[in-house]
Amino acid sequence: MRGETEGHGREPVRMPEIEVETRRRFEELALPHLKSLYRFASRLTGNRGTAEELVQETFLKALEAFPTLRDPARSKAWLFQILSRLAIDRHRREAQAVTVEVAEDLDHFSLYDLIWEEDPLPYSERLHDDFLAQFPDEEVRAALSALPEAYLAPLALLYAEGMTYRELAEVLDLPMGTVMSRLHRGRKILERELWDYAKRRGLVKTWKQST
Amino acid sequence: METEHLTCGDAVRKFFAYLDGALAGGSLEALEEHLEACLDCCERLDFSRKLDAFVKDRLGEEPLPEGIEERIRRLIENHGRREG
Repeated sequence: MRGETEGHGREPVRMPEIEVETRRRFEELALPHLKSLYRFASRLTGNRGTAEELVQETFLKALEAFPTLRDPARSKAWLFQILSRLAIDRHRREAQAVTVEVAEDLDHFSLYDLIWEEDPLPYSERLHDDFLAQFPDEEVRAALSALPEAYLAPLALLYAEGMTYRELAEVLDLPMGTVMSRLHRGRKILERELWDYAKRRGLVKTWKQST
Repeated sequence: METEHLTCGDAVRKFFAYLDGALAGGSLEALEEHLEACLDCCERLDFSRKLDAFVKDRLGEEPLPEGIEERIRRLIENHGRREG
């Protein structure tokens, strides 16, 4: 067991009594999404104990709001929306996007071009594939977790849940255009993280100053 | 209507939306037209596709903590219940 918490540790909430039948229907609708919600929480927090706390909080909040859910077919998006709002509340300082100047730099970053220019594996016939093959799983996970939450949330949902841009816009309360640019920049930051890691590990002998 | 002509930079900025199936209409046509004529961008796009698959593959599964479902069921059962 790694830091799972028993209960949610909050003061008892004053709210109208929830009927047994409502609890049963809620459980039936929400519990099948537990695995996906936990996976998302775990990506966002990078910590199993905190991820469970976030999921527990999500279920409680959702139970309280359950009578307002009009369309049960939307329950998955609705639960993810509650979780991502709670996560943003927890890390409000981190939930902002990068500044415009950084974003412009990022838009021009190209891992593909850097691999060509630096040629880190001179004897490779499949340079780009061989470059990627050198990364251990945990390093890729660490690179993703290092993303600011504004980019991590849409990417985690895209990769793990295969959500469409429309679904992402709904879950994350963002316009479609913002979803699109965050998915682009999030991947660019990830490319830069991988490149920085390769330099730190000495996979790339940088004889010239690269971006 | 004539298709918009993209530079390589414009094309690259559309790659991820293209891979995510989020491009349509004139935007999609413009990118496909550029890709037909630009081998460099085809290779860049191929790398972006591989990188996406690579990251997805490396993320793997996140096993649920033991007993979490039971703890959540208990929370659902007890939350907001009046004492007595």
